[in-house]
Amino acid sequence: MALRLLETILRRLLSVLLVLFVLSLMIFTLARIVPGDPARMVLGPSATQEQVAELRTEMGLDQPILTQYVTYVGKAVHGDLGQSIVTNRPVSRDIAEFLPATLELVLVTIIIVLLIAVPLGVLTARHRNTWIDNVGRFFSLVGVTIPSFLFAVGLQLVAANFFPSWPILGRVDYQLNAPDGPTGLLLIDSLMSGRMDVFADASQHILFPALALAMSGIGQITRITRSAMIENQRRDHALTLRSFGVPEKVVTFKYLLKLSSVAPLTIMGLEFASMIGNAFVVEMVFGWGGFASYGLTAILQKDLNALMAVVLISGLFFIFANLVIDIVVGLIDPRLRLRGGTA
Amino acid sequence: MSQSTPKELTAAYMSWYRFSRNHAAVIGAVIVISVLVMTALAPWITPFPDHIGSVVDFRNRHAAPDAQNWFGTDKAGRDVFTRTIFGFRVSLMLVVGVLGISVPVGAVLGMSAGYFGGWTERIITGLTNVMLAIPPLVMALAIGNVLEPNLTNAMIAITLLWWTWHARLVYRITVSIASEDYIEAARLAGASHMHILFREILPNCVAVISVKTTLDAAFVILFGATLSFLGFGVKPPTPDLGSMVADGRQFLPEKWWEVLAPGFAIFYATLGFNLLGDGLRDMFDVED
Repeated sequence: MALRLLETILRRLLSVLLVLFVLSLMIFTLARIVPGDPARMVLGPSATQEQVAELRTEMGLDQPILTQYVTYVGKAVHGDLGQSIVTNRPVSRDIAEFLPATLELVLVTIIIVLLIAVPLGVLTARHRNTWIDNVGRFFSLVGVTIPSFLFAVGLQLVAANFFPSWPILGRVDYQLNAPDGPTGLLLIDSLMSGRMDVFADASQHILFPALALAMSGIGQITRITRSAMIENQRRDHALTLRSFGVPEKVVTFKYLLKLSSVAPLTIMGLEFASMIGNAFVVEMVFGWGGFASYGLTAILQKDLNALMAVVLISGLFFIFANLVIDIVVGLIDPRLRLRGGTA
Repeated sequence: MSQSTPKELTAAYMSWYRFSRNHAAVIGAVIVISVLVMTALAPWITPFPDHIGSVVDFRNRHAAPDAQNWFGTDKAGRDVFTRTIFGFRVSLMLVVGVLGISVPVGAVLGMSAGYFGGWTERIITGLTNVMLAIPPLVMALAIGNVLEPNLTNAMIAITLLWWTWHARLVYRITVSIASEDYIEAARLAGASHMHILFREILPNCVAVISVKTTLDAAFVILFGATLSFLGFGVKPPTPDLGSMVADGRQFLPEKWWEVLAPGFAIFYATLGFNLLGDGLRDMFDVED
């Protein structure tokens, strides 16, 4: 069994490499065939023709695309993702600086989604077709139908009107002199260094952006949990447990919930992609200096090296999250473990 | 009830009966129809149809909602209600453009992969998996900007990603029915691949595709609004729901109406398509 799991992971890792290869080739080609000279963009309109040509040679832009790609990959595997033309620093350093902020936001979002959606799904399934169910279903429908940027703007509006002292921009109050290591996740770093004031402030800052980002996930996961619970409630094994006199609470939470968590977890993995995408919007609205903000700037400024890295790392993020979920799902449901992954 | 003769109880009638009993679905259908009607009749039902152009009325800037401007006016004194109704046009154009291409393409590729197998299957499913691994918004932003940020390129970018979902869906159905007897029979009778794909397999996928397409319409509206919120929309002054929210956001919280109307419009349209899609799913009795 452990071998099976290992085999699954290895096979998935191989497919990750393939995905990364195709993805990088696609974006690389796309980024090179478009009009606009990156060298010219770096130097600005006042640079002479010779200066531009010199930089083109330096950046390797005079080589054929395939050569450029091979050079890029060769450097990338050593952690060199090139230079950003916006920040004038190595892209890898930028990413290392900005990624933790987004990671923190996404992790808190996932926790919020699970804390709200799973109980809500169970509750609506248990009280099917009552007003509780209707309220819950409407709530999840709202979550799915309203885009994150509207939630973000709306939450800011609510905060501005009802909680004027609540911080709605940035990650932490700059006057607090927050610790910047070792993980880069402010909530964890502040706890590790015993700075409770920073922890409290950072928690306040993260609440609204995380909520805005969580809403669509809450909608999806509530729906899926509800239908999975209803599906399983009707099954023979649930009936058997009930006929043995096992209390309904135990049936629901010990047996049915475990079975019903496979579908929501799988969807959660897919949700991850839209969560990263929506982070672009939420980070912009809340001035959250993270990876997505960086990505947005890179895209707007046609900073090709940064853009490449942002897309690749987003993809990697997604694949990795799904790999973890596959393993968790495999641990929950032995049938899936034997079949070797869900995808 | 008892007067209905067996003749009336056709499959279509039963489907309609099930649909009409589902209140949420009917509400969804009404919303969708109302959006379509408003879009089509926009020049006649809005009070200031010329406000979709570069009209500037500085005396009426940021006017609060009143009898004349139901949802107030924006930073250039243009009627927010008029612009919101016209904003639906851009959203629906995006829906038609994206789904009109990506659904047929996805369906054909999915069917081919499931039916032919071998390398066709490997390449198509491989490509689908690659595409699914990229956060769509990130990809759309990247493509849209590398080209040029406008509606057409946004449409191209979304279409490039969207076919994968339909391909995956149709592929699964095709695989599950490819070995059915009637397909084997058609093959033995000498039917061409085209006949089998479009006459034998495709009808099995229609219900699932139409449910998915309806739900997708909501997603595309949402997605398009998000893109234009980030500045990848139509060129101003053409009204577009996402960029209207982005514009109005600068004047929050005092001028809340400039965000309220387009924001609600997005919610209204996506809610309609979602309810309708859920209703169709129950009607056709298909699973996710």
